[in-house]
Amino acid sequence: MSLSPASGIGRFYKHSAKIIRFVRQGCTNRPFYHIVVMERRKNQHQPVIEQVGSYDPMPNDNNERLVALNTERIRYWLGKGAHMSEPAAELLGISGLLPVHPRTYMTAWRNRKAAAEAEPVESAATA
Amino acid sequence: MLRAGYQLLNHSPLGAAKTGSNNFALEFVRWRRKPRWLPVAKSKVFRVPERKKQPEEERAELMRLHNHYKTQLRSVRQFLRAEVVRHEETSTADHIVLTPEQEEAEYQLCIAENAAWNAKIASERELRLAKEREEKVAYVQERLDAGKLREELRRERASEHIRHEIEQSKTFITRSNLDEAIETALANPVDHNFAIDMAGAMYKGRTTQSLGSSA
Repeated sequence: MSLSPASGIGRFYKHSAKIIRFVRQGCTNRPFYHIVVMERRKNQHQPVIEQVGSYDPMPNDNNERLVALNTERIRYWLGKGAHMSEPAAELLGISGLLPVHPRTYMTAWRNRKAAAEAEPVESAATA
Repeated sequence: MLRAGYQLLNHSPLGAAKTGSNNFALEFVRWRRKPRWLPVAKSKVFRVPERKKQPEEERAELMRLHNHYKTQLRSVRQFLRAEVVRHEETSTADHIVLTPEQEEAEYQLCIAENAAWNAKIASERELRLAKEREEKVAYVQERLDAGKLREELRRERASEHIRHEIEQSKTFITRSNLDEAIETALANPVDHNFAIDMAGAMYKGRTTQSLGSSA
């Protein structure tokens, strides 16, 4: 399948359901996501209505995962009634544009719990 | 039969000879899924998948968080919707209406601007064209001079050649002195059959016999 441009040539109906979601670009073992607005019923690799950001989930040299967001357009599309996919909602919550998503809290406390359970084992192993 | 290795069982020397491949070395791991229409395997018929347990307090906490989140998001959405509506109402991006006088004035302004630009570009062009013309004149003059010089050289070389030829023509054999020349040639036979060494010394001998015999 040929790549569709990120500039947004996607056709859409005026009252169709739009959604802000990720499109997986990149290649095998190297994910990279475009954050886009497109019709909800469409496959992720169809032409998009508009790209509103990008997300690189792999930490770089400084242990950062880079996100770019066009908040003005995200506000516009949310105001127009666009839906959000759950990962996109989490990301927007962390970025501070929207309230923090419950799943973020859940992941955090599960990670904390796992770390707390792993710690006594480690200390026992070292002792 | 579902395993990729089933080819090993069906392996026949004929097939291997046809494809020229070694099935022992080649094993596809990608397309060996069970087709949708096959029934559940006999060993898995009575298997009951284990449900993951969610602690009651975690469930309650998630419920609370989700309720909060949905409420907050609803109000944020409401705010953003109002923002978009407000922006559409106040924005003059699409629908500015001008009176005919204003339009005419704007048109005249554009015309004046355009004329100014044209004048500026015209003056620049004049300068450039004048410069180019000068350069061309100089170039042509230079080529003409060079051509003149070339012609003079050619004439000189030709006259030199003519002089040389006139000088040479004094020794030419003509109809009037033909007999004399023949007699001279017969009286002075020349033998070119000799050898020369590196120092330039001339060795005559042996082969001059033929000349001697004919004379």
